[in-house]
Amino acid sequence: MKYENRQPKEGINVSKHSPVKLLLQLMVATLVMAVMLIFLLQVSGSWLAKKIPFRFEESVMEKVPYDFGGGSDNEQVTAYLNELASRIDEYLPNPDNVRYTVHYNPQDTFNAFATVGGNIVFFKGLLDKMPNENALAMVMAHEMAHVAHRDPVSGLGGGVASMVALSALLGSSGSGPASTFISNTGGLASVQFTRKMENNADDEAITALGKMYGHTQGADTLFRLIAQQRGENTTPDWLERFSSTHPLDADRVANIAEKARQQELPIQGALTPLPAFWNNAL
Amino acid sequence: MSNVIGFILLLLIGLYFGKRAEKRHYKSIIEREHKLNALPAIASRFPPTDGFFHHQLVTGSTVVSSDYFKSFTAGLINIFGGQVTPFESLIDRARRESVLRMKAQAKASGAEMIFNIKFETSRIAAGRTGAIEVMSYGTALIPRSDR
Repeated sequence: MKYENRQPKEGINVSKHSPVKLLLQLMVATLVMAVMLIFLLQVSGSWLAKKIPFRFEESVMEKVPYDFGGGSDNEQVTAYLNELASRIDEYLPNPDNVRYTVHYNPQDTFNAFATVGGNIVFFKGLLDKMPNENALAMVMAHEMAHVAHRDPVSGLGGGVASMVALSALLGSSGSGPASTFISNTGGLASVQFTRKMENNADDEAITALGKMYGHTQGADTLFRLIAQQRGENTTPDWLERFSSTHPLDADRVANIAEKARQQELPIQGALTPLPAFWNNAL
Repeated sequence: MSNVIGFILLLLIGLYFGKRAEKRHYKSIIEREHKLNALPAIASRFPPTDGFFHHQLVTGSTVVSSDYFKSFTAGLINIFGGQVTPFESLIDRARRESVLRMKAQAKASGAEMIFNIKFETSRIAAGRTGAIEVMSYGTALIPRSDR
C-alpha cells in the first residue's frame, strides 16, 4: 500500500473574516448593552433605594460604629457647622424631613461629602481654604441638597445593582482587557447619573444661598479653588464633561451665574466673615 | 486620556504584529509542508506489514500565545457567544507547526513514515497571557538495515 500526504487546501479550518470589522461590531454591541443595562439598573436601583424611609436609613447608621469625625472632638467647629446647617435648612426644600448631622474631620483632605443617614463630613483641608462663610455655606448647602434628594442612598442602590450586573458580565469575559473595557464602559455610564445629581444639588444650593444672604457672592469660590488645586488640566473639556463624576468647574461657575440671573438674585453683596475663633480652632 | 491612547495603541500593535507574524508563519508552514509531504504522517493505527521497521515515538510541540487584539476581541465574543474566529488561525498554525516538527524529528531519525498520529492540546499560563501548547505525536517507522 502506498501512503502519501497531500498538501491540504488553505482556509478550511480558518474562517475568512475582517478582524477590525468584527471588533468594531462587538465593541458597539457591548457599549449599547452595558449602557442600557447600567441605565436600567441605576434608575431602578436608585428608585427602589429612595423608597427606604429616611428614619430607617438613620437608625441603621446609628448602629454602625463608624466615626465620621476621624477621632476629632473639636466641639466648637462641629457646633458651628451644625448651626450653619440648621440656618441653611430653612431655605432648602426638604420633602422627606431628613435630619442633617455635620462632622468635622481633622484630615488634610480637600473635600467634603454627604453620605447615608444624613451625615455630612467636612475635612480640615477644605475648611482651611474657606475665605468666608458664604463660600462654606455653598458647600454645606450643596451637600445638604444631596441628603435632601436622598442622593447618597439612591447612589448606593443604583451602584450596587449595576455592580452586580457588571460583575456577572465581567465573569463571562475573563480577566483580560475585555473586562477592563466593560467595567470602564459601565463606569462611564454611571457617572452620567452622578453628574446630574451634582447639577441638581448646585442648583438648590445657589437658590438657598441667595435667599439666605440676599445675594450669591462667594458661591463660586469652591469651584475656583478646586480648579486651582487641580492645576493644569491635560484632558480636553469635552472628554472631561463626558467622563467625570462631577461637572466641569468652569461649567459650575457659569451655572451659578446663570442660576442667579434666572432668579434675579444679586451677584454682589457683603460677605459674611467666619467666626472669630475659626483660624485658631481648626 | 492616556489610558485610552494606551489601549488603542496596544490594539494597533496587536493587530499589526499579530497579522505580520501570522503571514510569515503561514508562508513558512506551507513551504515546509511541501518539502515534508514526502514523509507521510498517517492517522491509522495499523502500519504496513510488508517491511521491517524499527518503531520510534516522535513528537512535535508548539506553544503559541494570543496577541492583545485577539484576546480583546475573544473576550467580547465570550459575552455574546459564537465562533471565536480570532483564535482559529492561531490554533491552525500551532497544529500544523507541531506536525512539521514531528516530521522533522522523524526525518532526522531516518523514518519513512509516521503512523497513529495524535494531537494533545493544553492551556498554559491560564489567565491574562492566553497561551496554549499543541503537541502531536506518532510512531515513526524507520527501515531496519538488515531487511
